[in-house]
Parts: sequence; C-alpha cells; structure tokens
Amino acid sequence: MMMRGWRALLRKEFLDLVRNRTVLLPVGVITIIALMLAFGITIVQPALTGQRLSEDSDLRRVSALVIADGNLSGDGRVQLFLFEQFLLLFLVIPITGAMALAAHAVVGEKQAGTLEPLLATPITTFELLVAKVLGALIPTFVISLIGLALYLAGIVIVAEPGVAGAMLSARTAVLILIVGPAVALVALQAAIVISSRVNDARTAQQFGAVIVIPLSALLVAQFMGAVWLSSTGLAWIGLGLFSFWLLLTLLSVALFERESILTRWR
Amino acid sequence: MISASGLTRRFGSRLVVDDVSFEVERSEILALLGPNGAGKTTTMRMLAGLIAPTSGSVKIDGVGLTRATGTLLRGRIGFLTESPGVWDRLTVRENLQIYSGLYGLAHADRAIDRTLALFEMTPQASTRTAELSKGTRQKVALARALLHEPRILLLDEPTSALDPEITRSFRALLDERRAAGCAILLSTHNLDEAERLADRVAVIDGRLLALDRPSVLRQRLRTGRVIVRVVGDPGAHLDVVRQFDREAAIEGDTIVLRLTEAERTTPALVSALTAANARIVEIRQEVPALEDVYLHLMDDR
Repeated sequence: MMMRGWRALLRKEFLDLVRNRTVLLPVGVITIIALMLAFGITIVQPALTGQRLSEDSDLRRVSALVIADGNLSGDGRVQLFLFEQFLLLFLVIPITGAMALAAHAVVGEKQAGTLEPLLATPITTFELLVAKVLGALIPTFVISLIGLALYLAGIVIVAEPGVAGAMLSARTAVLILIVGPAVALVALQAAIVISSRVNDARTAQQFGAVIVIPLSALLVAQFMGAVWLSSTGLAWIGLGLFSFWLLLTLLSVALFERESILTRWR
Repeated sequence: MISASGLTRRFGSRLVVDDVSFEVERSEILALLGPNGAGKTTTMRMLAGLIAPTSGSVKIDGVGLTRATGTLLRGRIGFLTESPGVWDRLTVRENLQIYSGLYGLAHADRAIDRTLALFEMTPQASTRTAELSKGTRQKVALARALLHEPRILLLDEPTSALDPEITRSFRALLDERRAAGCAILLSTHNLDEAERLADRVAVIDGRLLALDRPSVLRQRLRTGRVIVRVVGDPGAHLDVVRQFDREAAIEGDTIVLRLTEAERTTPALVSALTAANARIVEIRQEVPALEDVYLHLMDDR
C-alpha cells in the first residue's frame, strides 16, 4: 500500500487542471510574452530602427565579456548574449505559473473541505506533498518546454548564422534540464511549505511571489554582465538546488501539522 | 474492533474531550450523541488518527493507534467527515477512482462498480459532483468511505443532508454492514436515528455522561407513571385507582397514577378495575423516549 497514494493524488491534480484549464492560461500568456520580448528586442527592434545591435557600445562590451565565440559576427555575438539572457525567462515561467497552483495546494483543499477525508486515507505526508509539487510543476513545465522549443526554432530561423549552433551548448542543456527544474522544485516546495502553514490561499500566494525575487535579481545581474555562470558552475548550482529541495521536502514533511491544519484553520 | 481508553484532548487551555472511554465491537453500531461542541467530531478525529489525544489511547483491532501505525491503520477505517469533501470538478467515478488509488485497491474498477450499484448511483457515475444535490454528494462521500470495505466505520453526522428516502436506504445499508461484521460508530443529533440504528448509545458532553443500550437508558428514567384509559368517563373509576395511588388524577381522558412496583401491582389494578365494571381500553407504563433521557442527562450535567 505504501507509496501508491501520490500517484492517485497526482492523477487528481491533473484531472482538476484539465477541468479548470484557465488556471494555466497565465502561464501560456507569460510564455508568449517572453517569446515576443526576446525576438522583439533582438530581431524586430533593430530591423525597425535600422540600428544594428553591435552599434550599441554597452551591449558590445557586455557580450564580449561573456561570449568568446570568434566565429560569430558582432551582431551574432550580441544576439547570442541576449538570447542566452532570455533563456532564463523560460526558467522563471514555470515557477511563476506553478506558484499559484502550489500556493493553493494545501490551503485550497482545506477550504474546499476535501483535505480531511484525504488525510483520513493511508496517504503519507511525504506522498501528499510530492503529489502536490509535481501536480503544480509538470503541467507548467510542459508549457514552458513548448515555449522553449518555439524559442529555439525561432532562433534557428531568424538569428544570425552560427547563433543557433552556439545556443545548443552544454550550458543551455544544463540550464534547461538541471537548473530549471531544480529552481522550480525549490520554489514550489517552499510554496507548499507556506501553503501548509497559512490559512488563506491569498496569503500563501503573496508569500510565494517573494520566492521569485532572487530569480529576478539573477536575471538582472546576468543582463548587466555582473554574473555569468559557466556550464560547470551551473551544474554545481543545479546539484546544490536539488539537495536543497530534498532538505526542503523533509522540512515540509516535518512542518506539515495535520492537527493544526484540521483544527485551527477556519 | 475499536476502543477508546481515557481519551482526553485539550486545545490550549480548553478541555474538549475529557477522559472518554468506550469500545465498539464487531457487528455493533454505537451512536455518539451530544450537543454542538460536545467533542463528537474531535473524538471521531482522534479515532481516525487525524489528531492525537492529549492523553489516553485508541486501539484498532488491538493495535495502538500511533504516528507510526497510523498510516497502516487508517487503511482499515472508513471515515465519513462532517462535510462531504468531494472534489467538485471530478465526476463521481473519478472521485472514487482516486480514493481507490489512495487505498491501494487491487481491483479498483470492480470495487467502484459494486459501490456505485450499492448506492444506486451508476447512472450518475459520469456526472461531476458539483452538479449533484447536497444529499447525493453526501451519498458519494458515503460510497467513498465504504469503497475499500473497511471493518471499522466512523460516520460523522451521516444523514444530516439526506432526504428521508435516502436516509432509509442508508440505514438499511448500515444494518447490512453491521451484519457483515463492521464496527460502526456514528455521531448524530438525530435521537430517533440513534434509537432505530444503534445497539448502544454514548452520550457525551466533553465527558461521557452515559453509555448503554437505548432500552436500558430509557429504563433509568422510568417515572413509575401508569396510564389507564377506560370506556366512558374516567372519573367514575378514580376511587378504585386511588386505592393504589392516592395521588392518581385525571389527565384528559385518562387516569394517571404512579406505581412504585408497576410489574407487581398492575395485575391487581386490572382486577380491581374489572371488578368495578370498568371497560379497560389500555393500561400502560409510561416509557420515556430516548430524547427524554438525553435531555435529562443534559440537564443533570
């Protein structure tokens, strides 16, 4: 009987989302905005104004600092720099979208009156929390991956020669496959902890939004050229984040007090 | 079998359940009666392993309910919570499918079909529960509690939202589960339901005020009042009756008297009245309803 409950609960989460697809609409909208922003700034705006990206001294300087590919043209180098920056947006998208779902995960069940019968089953706290995190992460991550595929396809089609090839690097793979999911897991697990400690979904969501701040700071720092992490550095960060997620999961199990959730929340 | 021993639960300084002990045996229905705030739901939650007692213990089939054994023992219990708590966006069948997964049922579809048929809900299997009436949602919740065929059923106000027809079929279902060997604890405000269904009744108001079979509880409150109805004017026979109780009086079209030992004295009263040419319609001892017993216990708190 052990370790079956999370699959059943995860199925419930998916069914719930399928019946309430509008919850995922903001994730889709953010993905489209991120795509428009990236191509608008990197491709459309220079084409409309007639001003080449490499003519901007700041962009030229910052991109030269972090991009060492000698085969790229000046414009190609700046494009690669900008496209690498916008890649980070695709890490944030599943988090912002899933945050609302995760923040609602426990407190939502409580408010709907569905938590008590659920807790009366043999499901363990660990299983419950895992199902809730994956239930929030997987759908939004899939949308984000679709956006990412469109993003890379767009780069192949419209970017300077060599940019798409340079994008398909170990660094990008680490960013997408390790750092992205790890950051999302940490953020969502934190949101679940918050969701199981507050008695109102709005409060949980507001606390959850705070988690996006460090990611936004990283995004800005990269844009300014203040931070540029190599693939090895990113892999270590990813590993660290996965470890932190495991710790956070254990912490969330310890902090999940069935009693107070059932008896003190109104 | 489920047993509660010295169950006590405090929330801060507030004592909600105070040293409550009882057992529910196999093939037995025990009704938990008490006013709002009496600790019925808290007791149920402690028995279901959802909250821990401040002191005292719960045993399920002889195994102590603890944090370590909770996961396993919860699988043996069917718990109907105060509100139905069904997932609104899911259909009836999907709700049951998720719970069959949570209980790890091997033949889930068979169990679901059987349960749907039992509750006559097969036609509504594909309906989202949000579209169902309150009573039908309650039926779904009951079906969910019985899905894994638990040997122990904890039912918190099970018929509060059900119409009389569904209530009757639900009672029949509980009878059937009792016959199948289930230990059933149900909390209710409905004294008639307790009287009809329960083998024993526990009256609580924080602490346990009474625990016995309904007939025994009623016996406790016997007043010794005997009611005599005769054809014609009851006043014509008042003198005969006053040989047995000098305080006997006319109440409406009856004579009411008190007999300290009714079983022994009533035959003599019948003989005396017959000798006086009274045409007796009925002579009966006044038996208090469970409601009277309950109110009496509440007054005595």
